[in-house]
Amino acid sequence: MEIVVCVKPVPEGETRLRASADGASLDPEAVKFVLAGYDESAVEQALLLKESLPGSKVHAVSLGPAPRTEEVLRAAIALGCDAATWVDSGPAASPDPIDVARALAAALAPLPHDLVLLGKQAGDDEEGLVPAALAEFLGVPDVGHVVDLRWDAGRSRFTFRRAVEAGQETWEAPAPLVVALQQAWNDPRTAKLPAILKSRKVPIARVPPVALVPGVGRSQSVRFELPPPRSGARLVDFQTPEQAAEKLVKLLREEAKVFP
Amino acid sequence: MTERVLVVGELLTDRLSGSTVEAIGAGARLAGGASSVVGFLAGATARSRAPEFGRYGVTEVAILEDPACEGAPVAALVTAVVAAATELGTETILLAGTSFGRDLAGRLAARWGATAATGVTEITRVGSTLELRRPVFGGRATETRRIEGGRAVLALRPHAFPSATEAPCETRLRPIVAPAVPELLRAAHRTGLEASPGGAGPGLAEAAVVVSGGRGLRAPENFRLVEELAAALGAAVGASRAVTDAGWRPSSLQVGQTGKAVSPQLYIAVGISGAIQHLVGMMSSRVIVAINSDASAPIFKVADYGVVGDLFQILPALTNEVRRVRGQ
Ligand SMILES: Cc1cc2nc3c(=O)[nH]c(=O)nc-3n(C[C@H](O)[C@H](O)[C@H](O)COP(=O)(O)OP(=O)(O)OC[C@H]3O[C@@H](n4cnc5c(N)ncnc54)[C@H](O)[C@@H]3O)c2cc1C
Repeated sequence: MEIVVCVKPVPEGETRLRASADGASLDPEAVKFVLAGYDESAVEQALLLKESLPGSKVHAVSLGPAPRTEEVLRAAIALGCDAATWVDSGPAASPDPIDVARALAAALAPLPHDLVLLGKQAGDDEEGLVPAALAEFLGVPDVGHVVDLRWDAGRSRFTFRRAVEAGQETWEAPAPLVVALQQAWNDPRTAKLPAILKSRKVPIARVPPVALVPGVGRSQSVRFELPPPRSGARLVDFQTPEQAAEKLVKLLREEAKVFP
Repeated sequence: MTERVLVVGELLTDRLSGSTVEAIGAGARLAGGASSVVGFLAGATARSRAPEFGRYGVTEVAILEDPACEGAPVAALVTAVVAAATELGTETILLAGTSFGRDLAGRLAARWGATAATGVTEITRVGSTLELRRPVFGGRATETRRIEGGRAVLALRPHAFPSATEAPCETRLRPIVAPAVPELLRAAHRTGLEASPGGAGPGLAEAAVVVSGGRGLRAPENFRLVEELAAALGAAVGASRAVTDAGWRPSSLQVGQTGKAVSPQLYIAVGISGAIQHLVGMMSSRVIVAINSDASAPIFKVADYGVVGDLFQILPALTNEVRRVRGQ
């Protein structure tokens, strides 16, 4: 099976966020960008499928600026991906998500792809738009909120579950398919040192930035703001549990006005 | 200029989803009145349920009576929504911010030549420019995006916009004739649904109130203390990863970085320490309450109200008080 996994460099979980000098976007200085969250489970899912289906290949694709994008692709290779393509976004701070999908689709279309895996959203902008838009540009069906993706070789179909508000749905679909994964249900592996060293020598294909399509709706980030630091909880003082309950309910009703 | 706004409806078994009603309200403000909002419904019951839009002053509903739209990937819906938007000449489509809307937004925007945004909490229009605000980094920051003319598909964050006001009116139906969807795009299909336990309550993503329990509950059987408080409040139940990893409750209830992101009006965290991976899933809730025996637990730093105490004493008392006040 030919698997493509799309990943995005995002700031490491605990990074302190700061606005750029013009206030329009995140200041990338002093931020460590990593392969994280949903993307990690997407890579893990790709590798699990590859291991269960001999002869499979996993190709990692990422769009973004240098050098962080190449770095996360190397991280993906160190984990076990076979090849990587870097779609150079140029220095643009926060491109339109649909433009991102368009550029990824252009880079991915010539690669063989029975399955395209993505995290359901990135941990930074949380748009969650790229998987479905990418699928549309590729002319392939997509499914989101997926967990536990398997290939039923006998019937030549993917089987998987979707976690939606109402519960767990079971689905099936033939290839090709674009899948956005719900969560790290699969406990992603970590790379071993020899693999990390080896990954530095693997060539990464670079695709130059694509020209923007004229005449379509497009958004750009104009402000990036951090909330004022929370002052900390107002603690309810009480003698008995009953008194705590009574005071809390009163605060929620009369002060916060959120009591249902 | 009266720009019409298309609101794609999400149908629950007995009503339009709360997020859809919020989208109608947001659309009415954007377009200068509910009568400039056009609803959209697809599925076998689209015709009979279109009047549900009329409750909120929406006078026209585009319908696609295609039973194949149910249990099929959204690709089947997109064609019809695009056909409706094109017919109406609208530039803006609003969607519920539930998984329904989030799944639809990307493909719809790609097909329609639009930009898109999800998790939107504010929309302002100046001339032909739209400005949106949306929380990013799990509520640790807010970004403002500007769309200078052109088409836009916006999925709204649940509870960020007030519901549309009720103003019952007659609705006109506009049946949509959509081109057939290529077989390939229909190939994925649902084979079953296993309703989540407590499926009778509101879904996590949509609930106005969420009560979440953590490892502080100590054992799976104690988790009912959380469920009882949630039931008294009409709230959805959530959990920390410590709880779902231990198998006390299914992973569909997990809130956080690797679970669901929620932004209810009221979030009550019980016996949850407040690890950053949990916080990013709930920090954009409007009001946060923490109940924890450890006064130095990080959850108190993001909470608005805190009770430092033993949850095994506080929870039953709180549930009783809620029942009393709500007249149950
Ligand atoms: C990659 C990654 C992803 C993760 N994703 C998530 C995620 O999506 N969601 C998530 O929740 N976590 C996630 N985690 C785990 C997270 O780091 C924490 O381990 C987890 O949130 C802790 O859950 P907890 O607060 O229930 O448990 P603990 O941290 O053990 O906290 C239990 C709390 O209960 C309190 N307590 C104990 N007894 C009582 C009592 N009698 N009365 C009142 N209070 C009491 C304690 O004081 C303590 O604060 C992730 C971790 C990693 C590494």
